[in-house]
Amino acid sequence: MRADAEVEAFRAEVRAFIAEHGPALRAEGLRVPRDADEERRIRAWLGSLYEAGYLGGGWPEEWGGRPDHLPVHDLVVMEELIRARAYRPLDQVMLAAHEIIEFGSDDQKRELLPKIRSGEHVWCQLFSEPDAGSDLASLRTRAEPVDGGFVVTGQKIWSTDAQWADMGVLLARTDPTVDRHAGITAFVVPMGLPGIEVRPIREMTGDAEFCEVFLDEVRLGSEHVLGEVDDGWRVVTSGLASERAFVGANALQLEMMFADLVALARAARLPDGSAAIDHEDVQAQLAVALARVEEANLITRDTVERILVDDEHPSDGPVAKLSYTETNVALCEAALELLAGAATIGEEGREVAERWRHDFLWSRALTISGGASEIMRGLIGRQLLGLPRA
Amino acid sequence: MAAASTATASADEIRQLRDALRGMLGTAEQGAPPAPDAGWRSGWPALAEMGVTSFCVGEEKGGFGLDVRAAAATASELGAALHASPYAGLVAATRALSASDDPVAAEVLPAVLAGERVAAFGRIDHSGRVARVVDGAPDADLLVLARPGDDELVLLTDGAAWSVDTSLEGFDVSRTCGDVTVDPSLARPLGADPVAVQLHRLLLAADAVGCVRRMVDRTVAYAGERVAFGRPIGGFQAVQHRLADHAVRARGMALAVDEAAGSVASASPGAARAVAVAEVAVSASATRVLHDLLQLTGAIGFTWEYGLHFFERRVHHDARLAANPRAAVRALATIEGWTGAR
Repeated sequence: MRADAEVEAFRAEVRAFIAEHGPALRAEGLRVPRDADEERRIRAWLGSLYEAGYLGGGWPEEWGGRPDHLPVHDLVVMEELIRARAYRPLDQVMLAAHEIIEFGSDDQKRELLPKIRSGEHVWCQLFSEPDAGSDLASLRTRAEPVDGGFVVTGQKIWSTDAQWADMGVLLARTDPTVDRHAGITAFVVPMGLPGIEVRPIREMTGDAEFCEVFLDEVRLGSEHVLGEVDDGWRVVTSGLASERAFVGANALQLEMMFADLVALARAARLPDGSAAIDHEDVQAQLAVALARVEEANLITRDTVERILVDDEHPSDGPVAKLSYTETNVALCEAALELLAGAATIGEEGREVAERWRHDFLWSRALTISGGASEIMRGLIGRQLLGLPRA
Repeated sequence: MAAASTATASADEIRQLRDALRGMLGTAEQGAPPAPDAGWRSGWPALAEMGVTSFCVGEEKGGFGLDVRAAAATASELGAALHASPYAGLVAATRALSASDDPVAAEVLPAVLAGERVAAFGRIDHSGRVARVVDGAPDADLLVLARPGDDELVLLTDGAAWSVDTSLEGFDVSRTCGDVTVDPSLARPLGADPVAVQLHRLLLAADAVGCVRRMVDRTVAYAGERVAFGRPIGGFQAVQHRLADHAVRARGMALAVDEAAGSVASASPGAARAVAVAEVAVSASATRVLHDLLQLTGAIGFTWEYGLHFFERRVHHDARLAANPRAAVRALATIEGWTGAR
């Protein structure tokens, strides 16, 4: 009971902090700043979250972690950011921090971790390639060993935030003669090095959030190696960021989306002037959507309970991701159906309708990135059901 | 209204209960399901002795209070075993009998708890004369019937007070069912009991969850063994990915039922909503999942002997007994304020 009261006090503190300082999230998934002024504000905001101890609280204390940190604090912070529709921390920055803490040299930790905490460094991932997406281990970017370091040549793609990132975690092949997982090395790469060219890609939402990155004989020193040479696969598959309880905030996201769906059903008017929600078929659709949300959220909570006591099953992450992202898509599809059947949208529903149109397009980013649904189903098949590798 | 239960089982105790039931019901091993057993009543007192009839009966009446999680776990195991008892209705009836101060209710309850007599539960129309699709009616020694709308219940204990027509029902071959015609002058009012009605609906959903769970497990095992084109078919993505989806969906619906069970047990204000959500979660998926498992099992699954169809028939009938999802959708629309809310 006492612990609950403490968590709620922490929540109130975080909520007030966000209300005072948090810049708004333009729309789901949009985070690349549009101008220098916005970029300054976002970096300051990210830095202030670390400074307040709301991010990176679970890091080792010598690097800024809080002695009183509880994993549930991470969940509370993310929930409050979602509730306020505020700008959220960048997942690949948290992953980079995790990898540096786990595998970085002392020099790398000293140099890089404080700059993450201050908001000075935004990170991107240089993982996927035109011919290596879900099958990441087939990547072909070469890091040729030379005197004192490596020369990197290749092409990366789908690198979110690369156009404003200061640093990237790069995966490149250092030994093409061995098993494809064994010859890969992870590097920390300053994005301003000669030979790196970044080209933003315009997505179907109309925004440009991710990029192609061309690496042309980029010189890296041995101090850029993250972990051991040829051990990069272990670095990037070492597990989730320490903030893995963040996944619990997906439940709130779906609850807010469901509230939006009901709001849309109230605002949508049929050709006869009646509200969509007054029709039984729409109510049935809402009921099915609600049941899916509740199921996904129970799965999420079940997973988080195990995360908080460090008792996860390897399949928990894939089950939670698949169920959250596919439910997200199902809600968006229901909203689009409502929109399609509406003659007009009442004034009170315009903003919600606009959000749905964006979210519908964006929902596919969730089922493709961070391990596509097909990859999740394969992991569930093998790790939960014990079926053979496909 | 009964107060919140004082003696609900822990997660460990629920697991033990499930294991014990699987041992007794012969479902501990995977493989062919048992054929439906028409002689189920001979084994019923032994199950009653384990307490399965008493989970939702007040302690002062010899029960465990309102241990809905244990009842739901039992319903789920009985579903997985294709058990022929009208368990969902029987538990709803025991709850109604124990919560009422009617003297006849108190008199008949002990024999029901002991497994010697069987109570069936159904919905009666507003004339008070006809109750359609009543699970277990042909075998029942007594009936508890609920009036939709206000959850007013009546009790019938004299076999001369009703007749059963079984000619219209027969799709579910694992249980008996029939339309009941009642002599209203012999019906004893028990008062309103929304919890009994919720229990009936929830335990029918739990029954379906047990059916789905067992058939997902069975199909996963089959897909791991059955070889085609030189490899187990479970190694083909077209099969494996669908099984993964079904396993996730089975987990989701099981959690929804469990959540609702906890909610009813603690007399939470959200109980009615949680029950309706569980019903919609189950009805939206259970039949579809089973029908796809049959596809994945191939021609052997299409045979009478393989038995997957027993579960399809039963799950469909679970929904029919609860008038689900239509009733659940209507309930949700009211609870959530989707109707007349302008």
